[in-house]
Amino acid sequence: MGFLAPWFLAGVLAVGLPVFVHLLRKQTTVPRPVSSLMFFEQGTQSSTRHRRLRYLLLFALRVLLVLLLALAFARPFFRHKNVLPSDKLLLVAVDNSYSMNAKAGGATPGTRLDEAKRGALEAIAHKVPGQKAQVISLGGQMSLLTQPVEDAGALRAAVEGIEPGDGHGNFGELGRGMRAMAETVHTPMELDLFSDMQSSNMPGNFADMVLPGNVALVLHRVGETTVPNWTVESVQAPGQLVDTKKARVIAVIAGHRTPAATRAVSLVVNGTAIATKKVDVPADGRATVAFDGLDVPYGESRCAVRIDGADGFPNDDASNFAVKRADPERVLFVHQASDTRSPLYFGAALAASAQASFVLQPITPEQASDIDPSKYAFVVVSDVPSVPSILEHSLERNVENGGSVLVATGMAESHREHIPVYGGNVEDGHFYARGASESEDAGFATAGAADASHPAMRDAKGFEGTKFFYAAVIDPGKARVVARLADGTPLLVDKQVGEGHVLLFASGFDNLSNDLPLNPVFVAFVDQTAKYLSGEERVSGARVVDSFVQLRNPVNEESGNAAKGAAGSGATVDIVGPDGKRPLSLKEAAAAESFQLVHAGFYQIQFANGRDALIAVNPDRRESDMQAIPDDVLKLWSGSAGTGATEAGATESAAEATNNASSLWWWVMLLLLMAVLAESGLASRYLGTQREQP
Amino acid sequence: MLQRFLDPAVLAGISSLDLVAKTVVDGFVAGLHRSPDFGFSLEFAEYRAYTPGDDLRHVDWNLFARTERCYLKRYRGETNTQLTVLLDASNSMKYASGAVTKMDYARYMAASLCYLALHNQHDPAGLIVFDDEVRNFIRPSTRQGQLHRLLAGLEQAEPAARTDFGKPLKHFQEFLRRRGIVLVISDFYEQPEEIVKAIEPLRFHGSEVVLFHVLDPKEIYPEMKGPAILVDLETDRRLEVIPDYVKTQYRAKMDAHLEQMKDRAQAAGLGYHLLTTDKPLDRALTEYLTLRRSGRTSGLGGA
Repeated sequence: MGFLAPWFLAGVLAVGLPVFVHLLRKQTTVPRPVSSLMFFEQGTQSSTRHRRLRYLLLFALRVLLVLLLALAFARPFFRHKNVLPSDKLLLVAVDNSYSMNAKAGGATPGTRLDEAKRGALEAIAHKVPGQKAQVISLGGQMSLLTQPVEDAGALRAAVEGIEPGDGHGNFGELGRGMRAMAETVHTPMELDLFSDMQSSNMPGNFADMVLPGNVALVLHRVGETTVPNWTVESVQAPGQLVDTKKARVIAVIAGHRTPAATRAVSLVVNGTAIATKKVDVPADGRATVAFDGLDVPYGESRCAVRIDGADGFPNDDASNFAVKRADPERVLFVHQASDTRSPLYFGAALAASAQASFVLQPITPEQASDIDPSKYAFVVVSDVPSVPSILEHSLERNVENGGSVLVATGMAESHREHIPVYGGNVEDGHFYARGASESEDAGFATAGAADASHPAMRDAKGFEGTKFFYAAVIDPGKARVVARLADGTPLLVDKQVGEGHVLLFASGFDNLSNDLPLNPVFVAFVDQTAKYLSGEERVSGARVVDSFVQLRNPVNEESGNAAKGAAGSGATVDIVGPDGKRPLSLKEAAAAESFQLVHAGFYQIQFANGRDALIAVNPDRRESDMQAIPDDVLKLWSGSAGTGATEAGATESAAEATNNASSLWWWVMLLLLMAVLAESGLASRYLGTQREQP
Repeated sequence: MLQRFLDPAVLAGISSLDLVAKTVVDGFVAGLHRSPDFGFSLEFAEYRAYTPGDDLRHVDWNLFARTERCYLKRYRGETNTQLTVLLDASNSMKYASGAVTKMDYARYMAASLCYLALHNQHDPAGLIVFDDEVRNFIRPSTRQGQLHRLLAGLEQAEPAARTDFGKPLKHFQEFLRRRGIVLVISDFYEQPEEIVKAIEPLRFHGSEVVLFHVLDPKEIYPEMKGPAILVDLETDRRLEVIPDYVKTQYRAKMDAHLEQMKDRAQAAGLGYHLLTTDKPLDRALTEYLTLRRSGRTSGLGGA
């Protein structure tokens, strides 16, 4: 037992106060004169005996109170010097992030993961008999592979079963996991971490890594700290293309601690290299290489950009991407016969967009009555006051099954309240050219806030310069407002209906209600909107390991019934992983709303709305940088856990000594509180008998 | 406002007993003037035929000129009543819980009564100071310098010895041969029947006897926080007493004593008043004037 503030023990001298009050003061009673003892009687013996019996307990309590107070300030702690090593929980954490696939280097055979597993097995073999241990894998997420068990066989099996992962390691995740574990496990713990200690594994905030006080961290570094490594850092390629000759693939080749070198970069389509280029990569720098033309067959192709030439980490020498070649998808554009401007502007913008993978099919409402909307990528209803009920019904059903509709409410629709497909009404029409308010003196309104996180507004820079002369006033309800005018009027609203979306544009595309069609941002807006509504945006491009893909729209209150209809009709999803296996069970396939892409490679996914997609998944490129965390940072980290164990085999005994120290402050305070209560009760009782009652 | 001059704690700050008496009486009289029930200023009462030996200064010479007969003018204020103050000067009167001892309080009271009697009423006033013996006797008189003699007697009356009503009372009989008002000021630490038995004979001459029982407030409601040793001021006897006893039995005994004093005194035809040293002095003065105006002791005659 020790004291953190022993000087406060001097407060024990205050025990003289109750001694004086109880034992000394009463001995110096001064005789009191009275006029006559005529009415008094002797009470000496009984009063003395009474006093002794009565106040002995009170005196003891007061002395105890002073002692406990001094003790509490001295902050006592108790050190469990007799704690057995078997009482300490051994945590064996093996880093199986993507970088652990690199060669161990030197004379060590195998990969870094193999070396880490060997170290973990050795740690388990050296554990004290009877000591419990637990195996943890640290890849993209921290996973507890076993319960705390003594069985070395089970622990060894768990370690040997650790597979190489494609995730990005994060020591912040380890810190959070250990802090959560320390809330339930109060015994001392020793965490043996086997990792390459990549600097990219450090979280942005060092505090996230800090471990709780009862955890002693022992670090085991595996692999060489400096490994030259080239990698394909990023690939920019179209997700869907129509014209193979116009397609362009741009790749960035990065070198980490590499000398200047010339690398051969190949474009691989379905396993066949169709083009190879030489690129000069500067020392520890980046170089860009572009491939014009992407000759892929119809359908979905598995493509990759690969650099030739071995380095310390060959796994990251290729970057996958998926490309779908198809004929241009048709877009149904429903407009009034008198409105020839809208299809002109919208079609021109659609044709001018990057890949030109859509073809506009303008049609009047009367002609569209018997058209099946599901055959179109999406449908645009442009300022149509009256949609035939059969068309509206088929549009609604199409949206519920995963289709999408873009509705524009221009000036022609201002005399009609109902908005087709959207399900709401036009509350008012705002003609800014006739406006009389202060903000409308200019005769137009400009676009205000835009939600850049929405796919339709991702590249819509310059949207705020657009002039709007008319906008329908609508109640967005629970729908997502993507853009507003400067006066707060919702301009673009995205409403989820069943599996599909209805995008409502509160103005027109006819260049009369606004000048958006003449603005360059219109092309970007139409391009992004078309990709979003056709679903291409959702599946195109490459993903990073551990990212999520949305399989079906989440069920919310408004569209719950429709979604249930889609799900209830047996709309399951189908996922085939890179290894050719289906990771979801039938039950999960019928209900899962999202799926985590945990492995690198190609995922073949059939979504709930029936669309198919091939998704390429690449490891996080931060794993390619093999630079290790500096030793001083590692010392700081291990020092923050317990008392400062550093690398493997460091001061275990010191860590044990301090981790076993437990503060007695709370117990002392509890006793103090009880003593105060007892003293108060006893003192008030005794004093109560002396209260005068005149 | 004027009541302030009757507060014993204020009077304790005045060293001169003469000044104390003057302050008390003047303040008291000034207060009385505000009440129509108390008018005792000198007023004409009647004429009386001159008899040899009467003071010629009181002859109404205007009447003599008209009628050639000598008549004396008599005033109500001149109806003299002899006042005798019996002051207990035993050691128990030294007790004080505040600024004023019981002896001081008794002195102020006696001085004020004498001043009122001599200065305002022109009554003969006398003093007997006693403990277990008669220690001082000043015969009642209206002579020049009587007030100073009385005050000097009061100043010299320091508490000593213990109270004993039996011995001095024999002498009282000798001193008090004329009717009048007899005021006994004491703390009466004696059995009530013995006190009354000793004082009762004073009434046999037709005097009005009033007992002023002076006590300290803490003697009636004592405070004791713990066991204490008490010392008797008269006998020096020591006794350890516990608070429980003081709170219960002492209080009961004291209440019974006061009740008995009151009952016995009234049964014997004696006036009885309990005064505590924290109360103003007007009670004693009022009592004196009430007795005097009642005319029971002296009527209009007897100049």
